[in-house]
Amino acid sequence: MADPIYLDHAATTPVRAEVLAAMAPYWDGRFGNPSSVHRWGREARTALDEGRERIARSLGADSDEIVITSGGTEGDNLAILGVWRTRRKSDNRNAVLTTPVEHKAVLGATHQAAIEGADERICRMLPNGVVDEATFDALATTEVAVASVMWVNNEIGTIQPIDRLAALARSRGIVFHTDAVQAFGKVEIDATKTPFDLLSISGHKIGAPKGCGAMYIRRGTPLEPLFHGGSQDRGRRPGTENVAAVVGLARAVELAKAEREEEVARLSGLRNRFESALLARVPDAVIHGRNAPMRAPHITNISVPGVDSESMLMALDLRGIGCSAGSACQSGSMSPSHVLEAIGVGRELSGAAIRVSFGCLNDDACVDRVASVLSSLVDKARGASPAMTAA
Amino acid sequence: MKERVLVAMSGGVDSSVAAAMLVEEGYDVVGATMKLFCHGEDLPDRPCCSLDSVNDARRICQQIGVPHYVLNLESAFGRDVVDDFVAEYARGRTPIPCVRCNTFTKFRDLLHKADAIDARWVATGHYARVVDGELHRGANRDKDQSYFLWGIERAVLGRMLLPIGDRSKSETRATAHRLGLELIAEKAESQDICFVPDGDHTKIIRERLGADAPSLSPGPFMLADGRVVGNHDGHARFTIGQRRGVPGGFAVPMYVVDIRPADRAVVLGPRDALLGSGVIAREMNWLVDAPQVGRQVEVQIRHRSAPATAEIVRLAGDEIELALQQPVAAIAPGQSLVVYDGDRVLGGGIIEASRRARPGLPVLAA
Repeated sequence: MADPIYLDHAATTPVRAEVLAAMAPYWDGRFGNPSSVHRWGREARTALDEGRERIARSLGADSDEIVITSGGTEGDNLAILGVWRTRRKSDNRNAVLTTPVEHKAVLGATHQAAIEGADERICRMLPNGVVDEATFDALATTEVAVASVMWVNNEIGTIQPIDRLAALARSRGIVFHTDAVQAFGKVEIDATKTPFDLLSISGHKIGAPKGCGAMYIRRGTPLEPLFHGGSQDRGRRPGTENVAAVVGLARAVELAKAEREEEVARLSGLRNRFESALLARVPDAVIHGRNAPMRAPHITNISVPGVDSESMLMALDLRGIGCSAGSACQSGSMSPSHVLEAIGVGRELSGAAIRVSFGCLNDDACVDRVASVLSSLVDKARGASPAMTAA
Repeated sequence: MKERVLVAMSGGVDSSVAAAMLVEEGYDVVGATMKLFCHGEDLPDRPCCSLDSVNDARRICQQIGVPHYVLNLESAFGRDVVDDFVAEYARGRTPIPCVRCNTFTKFRDLLHKADAIDARWVATGHYARVVDGELHRGANRDKDQSYFLWGIERAVLGRMLLPIGDRSKSETRATAHRLGLELIAEKAESQDICFVPDGDHTKIIRERLGADAPSLSPGPFMLADGRVVGNHDGHARFTIGQRRGVPGGFAVPMYVVDIRPADRAVVLGPRDALLGSGVIAREMNWLVDAPQVGRQVEVQIRHRSAPATAEIVRLAGDEIELALQQPVAAIAPGQSLVVYDGDRVLGGGIIEASRRARPGLPVLAA
């Protein structure tokens, strides 16, 4: 078999060598607890503060506006539950507003708020994979405590109009959160330019380790912690800090930001090359969200009518090509994508969906090979006569 | 390397050993665990289908160096197996979902997945054998599972591998140890129906048909002469030959001898009334060329019963009637009738009715 090709960068990425090197001293030599008074503690604390500052700078934020988290899921939960639980008491705002295409972390946290008594509001989507701003506007009333809209959709790669949505939310006194896990390093993110109040990012999507992330919290945003304990991170996130991961995350964030424009151009090129090659050979392939006004460069989600994605992913993997379907449940089996359903894709097409996500491990040659393997598998699946079944 | 084989892996010892043996024999093995039924998120571990079982199968595959996939066959399984299970109980019958799972899920739907990955073969951990294109009993009679396999399409036999069919359970466990599969070598066997993990099959009937389903609603216990001798709380709780839950106070032990869904009646009778001298089955599927009327064969009307000698007295379309040489007790509609010639499985079908050995005599209450 030729070298395996990883096309699942939206799922996770390898830790970058620079990140690994930056973290290395903090596993053993500089192992201190940042809360300790002695030299070991000071050393760790300095590294932590510097890391936080560098992350802040990369987001257009101040250091005290950054909370270190375990990743996107924690950030999403902290944003929605932390704000709603505070504001339902202090401001009498009991609604949570979000979209049906969010990551399960946002949908799950919103659902949890609903279980605890929140008014759950889900705005509509347009078929192109973008939020229907009219319904967002209509639902964004003064009863809403927090609104959450993901910047880049993790399944189909569509970019939401965060500038306008955040501004609208602000005009109604709504705290606005955006899950920017897939957006960081792909779109320009600057807290001084876009009026979001909260923003979550995850380390492992940008070359830092799994289990670390950061959350931007604009000064003055009402938010109670999820965890209770010590005074670390101003009490917003108690627990001994993962110093090495913060140092690694800071490095990854800086690299991703510095390389953004070049990488976006490169990834868009790969994606366009792939889509053209595939459509040339499989003209009826449907690329979800392709008509959105803005798309992230690294995600393409394709359905080939009549081909089931489960079989296709197996066949691709056995040829050394790793892609994914929309969403996977814990057992590793597939369930129909809630994102595709929300943008009006029927069961048959959504059952055929394959997400290809490009990144650091890809170049033109592997894109060409994948397009060719994928289209030949499609031909085979479609050419399979019933007689083959019991040959 | 030999041809590719897709192995259905439950995470248990049988299918794990089957996969490992095929690796040893040089096949290009691909493991797959079928997700058939969702128990909900917080059910504790079950022998089959649960998350832990999937994880066990994945770990075994990692250990033996083959890829593993989880296949979501929930909707097809729900339609082909669970819906039928519920409908059969509603009709007063006693279905065997494993038969339909083998027929439709493992050896049809899974075969389609095998096609998609160019796998020449499909393998399972069943205790049965394929010999010269025919299905045979497992070599070890105690574990023989051929009774559950009669429904597969005949042509599928040419693509089936049953690697552990010539051994006993203890040999399978010994092989697991020899191959270092300690994770699952002593794993408890699943006895239950996978979607009825606690043994209470009425739960799924209630879920699908509602708590007020006629088969779960009160009805009379009757004797053959129509006398009502008590009440039960749903005929779906009963099967032909059952004693549990039957009222006492009779001169002789009483059994369920008939279920009449039209009037929700569970008919009771003495042991004699359970005896059948003939059996009628439908949906017959032949795994060899269909035999002729008059042919003497062996039949099994339930798993683990001794084969009974019988003569084919009628064959019409997919229906068969057999005369039993000796009466057989508790022939239950919905169970499988499997026709054997020694170890060879000739075919099978679903029991529709039995011919009573003698008319039920009135039984007097003590």
